[in-house]
Amino acid sequence: MKLKKRFTTLLTVILALAMILALAACDKKQGTDPSQPGAASGTTAGSSPGGDRAIHVYTRDAASGTREGFESVVGFKGKLTEYANEVASNGAMAQQVGQDINGIGYVSLVTNFAENNLKPLKYEGVEATEANVINGSYTLKRPFSFTTRAGNDYASDEKKQIVEAFIAYLADSKEGREVVAAAGGIVEIETGKPWSELKAQYPIVDKDNSALEIVCGGSTSVEKCITAALESFQGIAGNVQFKIDQTGSGDGWTRVLGDEKDGPNASDIGFASRDFKDTEPVDGALRHGIFCQDAIVAVVHKDNAVMDLTKEELYSIFTGDTGTWDAIGR
Amino acid sequence: MVFRNLFRIAGVLAAVMVILIIIFVTSRGIRPFIGGEGGRLDLKEFLTGSRWRSDQGIYGLGFVIINTLLVSIAGGVLALPSAVLSAILITRIAKGKVSVFLTTIVETLAAIPSVVYGVFAAGKITVLVRDLGHLFGISTYGGNSSLAVILLLAIMTYPTMTTLAVSGMRSVPRQLDSASLALGATPTQTSFKVIVPAARSSIVTGFTLGLGRAFGEATAVSMIAGNALTGPTWNPFDITRTLTSTMLTGLHETTGLDYEVRFSVGVILMVVIISMNLLVAAAKKRLEKKGGAAL
Repeated sequence: MKLKKRFTTLLTVILALAMILALAACDKKQGTDPSQPGAASGTTAGSSPGGDRAIHVYTRDAASGTREGFESVVGFKGKLTEYANEVASNGAMAQQVGQDINGIGYVSLVTNFAENNLKPLKYEGVEATEANVINGSYTLKRPFSFTTRAGNDYASDEKKQIVEAFIAYLADSKEGREVVAAAGGIVEIETGKPWSELKAQYPIVDKDNSALEIVCGGSTSVEKCITAALESFQGIAGNVQFKIDQTGSGDGWTRVLGDEKDGPNASDIGFASRDFKDTEPVDGALRHGIFCQDAIVAVVHKDNAVMDLTKEELYSIFTGDTGTWDAIGR
Repeated sequence: MVFRNLFRIAGVLAAVMVILIIIFVTSRGIRPFIGGEGGRLDLKEFLTGSRWRSDQGIYGLGFVIINTLLVSIAGGVLALPSAVLSAILITRIAKGKVSVFLTTIVETLAAIPSVVYGVFAAGKITVLVRDLGHLFGISTYGGNSSLAVILLLAIMTYPTMTTLAVSGMRSVPRQLDSASLALGATPTQTSFKVIVPAARSSIVTGFTLGLGRAFGEATAVSMIAGNALTGPTWNPFDITRTLTSTMLTGLHETTGLDYEVRFSVGVILMVVIISMNLLVAAAKKRLEKKGGAAL
């Protein structure tokens, strides 16, 4: 009996502590929640248990480029429902939504839907395919933009030439586009020109360029594509060196043409996973444009009856205004 | 003399490492709260808040602390009885090869990397919890929930607790055992009333170490916690968020305040673990005092 008593004492102490903390938090929660913006909106049946048809919203973590793209296209930045399940990667998103009959999330187009029990949803009635992204009818997408420094603003003429050559390889050549597509970017490969034709305009690639370094900055989302492109470019451009220092779309313009262009983080090519804004004039650049696109797909469990959703419906689901699948009515 | 100095150096090195880690994490962790200029965090709001919205710049950790305590302690408490019973099986009931075999299994469990536990949990435990929820008519986030985390932590802390309990029970003097049996107690009574109390010190140490693992487990937990944005989470079938999952999720991609604040979370995590250890140590001391008189 003594033994039991002793363990009971130990457990009681621990549980008591937990309860005290719990109660303290309970007060706090009741005290602050109603005043919190967005916490109320009684329609959020998605709060979890209760209601067999409650929508379960899945989101990527706040640092994710896919999330940034999805939130900016659908237009609910900062307004995500309080009752969302946050996952750390595209793969985790695919797996978890595929396990939840009431779940809805978003993944990149390259995801294997069937393997994860997912159904890709049509957006505004248009199926998510590469062809539809390229012809412009599928609009849940974002461009990967680039811009160079101003033409007279490179440290040396060699640097300027090699940057020009790389941009031509990345954006115009068939080979470059193939590499970008393999890394997940969506771009039309057939219309690209063979590099063997293009390289004639860029004699610098035949020299030894191991002393030159191309510095990239800006969007983190483009990292995979440009890393792949630079790695393959290195082999055909005299072993040119490169540094990929991606910190976010905002820095893409700033570090190439804006305030930080002469600072310690100055870059040769700036990238953004969106169009450059009006406040980011790229007219002075040697060259600017879009080298590929990235499509995001809203996904549900394969047994969910929903086939397509509009921008308004996605907005209302992800902000928590619509809490059940019944309210979607399909 | 040479050896004594070697040991001394080793001890100092270990202590220096701990102190360095604490200094480093703390110095990074207080940054989000100092330096003014708007956008910085309010310490009180950080410690007691009930919302974690990095997209809106709101960092309230209060509910995360409670969630962490709840799931870790629940997991530990769930594992403790199974660990003690397993230890009795290994040391008292199973003979020879069976005992060795069982010990090997427990040791193997302790050696499995946490990411492997995570994959298992994301594929199996969540499905189990989802189906269990279905049975009660509760719709879960595909099984991602407090309950799934608790079950996972119970499995992960079980080997630590069992190993410690086994070594504690093995070191109980043979005479105690024989005396109990000679007085007419059955083997079962002997196990529960003589061996377990005599080994309680090891059992409690195992519990502490197990809790430490539960509090600190990041990879596996963040795969199934769901990382709720508000809380605390009282419903075991609802998604939760722990200190470690908060630190880990999105760590590789984020920058600025959202990155620095993770060090602050780390400071809180260390404080929680240290106070938990002190608490258990105090409980153990009391237990020993009472037990000493009884034995």
